[in-house]
This record gives sequence, C-alpha cells and structure tokens, in this order.
Amino acid sequence: MGFEKFGQVGYISQTKVAPLISYLQKGVVAGTRCKNDGKFYFPPRADCLDCRKSDMEWVPIESRARLVTFTQVFFGPPAFEQSTPYTLGLAEFENGLRVFAPISKDLDRDELKPEMELVLRPRHVGEGVFYQLEKP
Amino acid sequence: MARVAIVGVGHSKFGKRSDASLRELAFEAYSEALDDAELESSSIDGSVVCSATHYDKQRSPAGVVAEYLGLNPKPTFNVEAACASSAVGLRTAWSLVSSGLHDVFAVVGVQKMTELSNKEIQELMGRAGDVMWESPFGTTMPSYYAMYATAHMARYGTTEEDLAGVTVKNRKYGAKNPKAMFQKPIGVEEVLKSRPVSTPLKLFDCCANADGAACLIVSNAERAKKITNKPVWVAGLGLASSPMALAGRHGAMTSFEVTKNAAKSAYEMAHVKPNDIDVAEVHDSFSITEILNYEDLGFARPGKGAKLLKDGETELGGKIPVNIDGGLISKGHPVGATGASQITSVVQQLRKEAGDVQVDGARIGLAQNIGGIGMYAAVSILRA
Repeated sequence: MGFEKFGQVGYISQTKVAPLISYLQKGVVAGTRCKNDGKFYFPPRADCLDCRKSDMEWVPIESRARLVTFTQVFFGPPAFEQSTPYTLGLAEFENGLRVFAPISKDLDRDELKPEMELVLRPRHVGEGVFYQLEKP
Repeated sequence: MARVAIVGVGHSKFGKRSDASLRELAFEAYSEALDDAELESSSIDGSVVCSATHYDKQRSPAGVVAEYLGLNPKPTFNVEAACASSAVGLRTAWSLVSSGLHDVFAVVGVQKMTELSNKEIQELMGRAGDVMWESPFGTTMPSYYAMYATAHMARYGTTEEDLAGVTVKNRKYGAKNPKAMFQKPIGVEEVLKSRPVSTPLKLFDCCANADGAACLIVSNAERAKKITNKPVWVAGLGLASSPMALAGRHGAMTSFEVTKNAAKSAYEMAHVKPNDIDVAEVHDSFSITEILNYEDLGFARPGKGAKLLKDGETELGGKIPVNIDGGLISKGHPVGATGASQITSVVQQLRKEAGDVQVDGARIGLAQNIGGIGMYAAVSILRA
C-alpha cells in the first residue's frame, strides 16, 4: 500500500517498490541496485532482470539528465483537465537510463529543445509525491 | 511450410454507428465475408474475435459475437493486442490452420467505441501508457506519438506542414472510400489551424475513435483452391514487442524499433524486400506515425519519410502507394477492426478489385499495425 501517492493521479497502490514514496517524501529520488550483481534500476525494480535475484538496496540517483524529447499536452485525461497545458518529457541520465517525467512550468516551452540539460527533483502536491524535470 | 490463404473479406461501414451494436457490426462484416467467399456459415470451423476489450461494454465479447454469428458450438476466443488486435488475429488463424487444427477459420475484428462518453474515453486514454510509472503524470495516447514527432522534427527538420501532408493525402483517398468515416478532402491550412492536442500534433493529425468491424476468412491451401479462384496467400507474418514504458526504449525516439523488428521477420518469411512491395497499408493513427512507418518499413531511409511523401511516391501512381483506402485518418479507428480493415484493402488490391484506387499490377502487398503506444507491432505480407 501507499504507492497511490505517486504522481498526480496514482493508479497502482500495491507494489514491492512502494518505499520510493518515503524516499520522495524525504526529498530523495532513488532507484534500486541488485545486491547480487550490482545492476542499477530506475524506475526501481524489485527483481533483477539479469540474475533473477530479488535482494535490492535503495540508492539515490544523480539528478542531471539530458532532454530527449517532450510534448505539451492540451487535451488531458479527466483528472488533469484543470492542469492543461502541461509538458511531459523524456530525459536521459549520464548512465544511459531514462526517466519519463513532467517538466516544470517554470520552463517556457519555447526554451525547450532536445539535448538541453535538466535536473530531476522530487516534488509534492498535497498528498501526492513525484519527481519532475527542472532547470539546473 | 503449409500455405494459408485469405479466401473472403468483409467490412462494415466505419464511423459513428449509433444504429448498431457490437454484435451487429460483427455480423455486417462476417456476412459480407461469407458472401465474398461464397460460403455458408456451416463451412467455418472456428473463430477468433479481435477487440481491445476495455472499450467494450460486453465483457469477453467473443461469447456474444460467436453466438450472434451462429458459430456455436465451434471454438471461439478473444485476441487483444490493442490497435494490432486483428492483425494478431490473422497470425492466430495462420497458426491454427497451418497446424491442421482448423481448415476454414474466421477472424472477426470489431470495436464499438462511440457509445462511451467523452469522459470514459478520456479516462481510458489516460491509461494508454504504463499506469505505474507514466500515466500518473497525465499521459495520453497522442502525447506519446507527439514525443516521437518532436524528436523527428528536431533531428531531421520534419515540419508541421509535412505532418499535415499525411492527413491531406489520406483524406483525399478517403473521399473515394464509401466505408470511411470521413469522405471529404481537407486542405493543409485546415489541418494546421485545427486545435492543438499534444504539440506538435493537432486535431486533424489524429485519427478518430469509431465503430466498425472487418472480417477475414482464412483457409488451408487445399480448401482455398476449391473455394475461390482468387486466393490471396499469407506470405509473411511479423510480430514484435517493445517496452511499454517510454523510458524503457532506446535511441533517438525518431523510429519504432518494434516496427523494424516485426518488418524484418515478415520480410524474411516472405523472402521479399521493401522495394518488392507494390501497395501498403500502414498505421496512421497519427500523421507522424505514417512518416515513421515509411522509414521503419524500409520504404524510405531514416529521416527521409517526409520527402517520400512530398515527392508523391506514396500516392497512387507513386513508387509505393500507401493508405490509398484513406487510412485510419479517413476510415476512423475502431481499434480491434483496424488490422483486418487494412488487410481487407490489401486483399482487394491483390485481387484487382480496388476500383478507383487500383494499383496496376499489384502482386505483393503489406499491412502494418502498431499496437497501443508501440508495445506491439504486426506486419503482414500478402501475395496474389
């Protein structure tokens, strides 16, 4: 339980990686690392794809990421209608992993272009916690 | 390898079909396919009903569809692969017929979407992506394809006018298709001025939700030759998968690996190359999708999709006519019916029955679907 707090509208409540919520509440964006073979996962996974072991530890992620692509959404699902337009982005960390996240409203859409440097920071709105891409 | 043929095709009118229920739409397509094959229902020894069942009010719709078509007590079941459902239905039928488990099998693609309220549709659209990691941020179906469009435009200089060109081309041909939802041509300006949905995609860059059905009658070689003198052979089938989460995909987001992988399998199985294809139906759920598909199917080099369109090569009379039945952009997109609809158009081309849009000498055709936001892709290659 508890994972329903992830994002603006949580669809999933039960998962083995629900501890992400408490990390985000403490202001930390974290992924999981396999204790057996050291493979790092973000978004976090409970189960290692390589060795199939399920013994993971939580590790904070570096925040710098490079924007890969984005879109400004004008027509959203019912729970997001009041927030339109909002911008969603896909960004890549230096280690090659990627994150899908909202882009801060502080960033003007006209400033956005693929390859630009952004940072991923934890945020909360009411009960919900999430992460978003912001200006470095 | 056992030879499998399509011996009959049927297609309902697509659009806002407030006159018909799911089962009645299925009947329209099935009955037309039986007439086309000059068969009675008693010759069909099983069916697969293909729909994205989350849109249906009826749970497990194969139950009511098989009943309404008079196909009880023969085997029936649902197949779902989002927008690729009935292309996967053909793959399923191919396997069942090749194995000898069935002789003459019906693939019924059907979807009833317009009786859902806008709210219900928007709610479903909001769960098109990975509901754990991406939907909580307000993703929509168009937003995913829009992100591919942003990347393609940034990398290759593709423009919003280029995207509009896809809609203009497809609506021009849709005007000749009496079964299409939209049968009126549209100009570039009208597309460019339509309201933004998810940048850079605008309303007329997007296909519309629709009601409709399409049906394929699939048979083994021995029966096919008795049923028709114009069997269309299933020469190659490719199906591939990709991470559902956008963050799980690699590369510049300017192409769909899933389409490339499905195409590779289909071309290999059919022993053909992209330039052997005489006519194609590709997934134009959004204008950008058609441009990416040109490149991913090997009709154009990476980044050259928009040029292929502007050069007129995907028009009737061009090097590789694409979506000259109007595509999803004109026909509408009754999700579960779309794959069988595309295959129906290719079958008609290969039988020289495509009327005003007949491609001279068409012998090899291709149909391609992307399922959902790109987690599935299916490519079917057919031969006269």
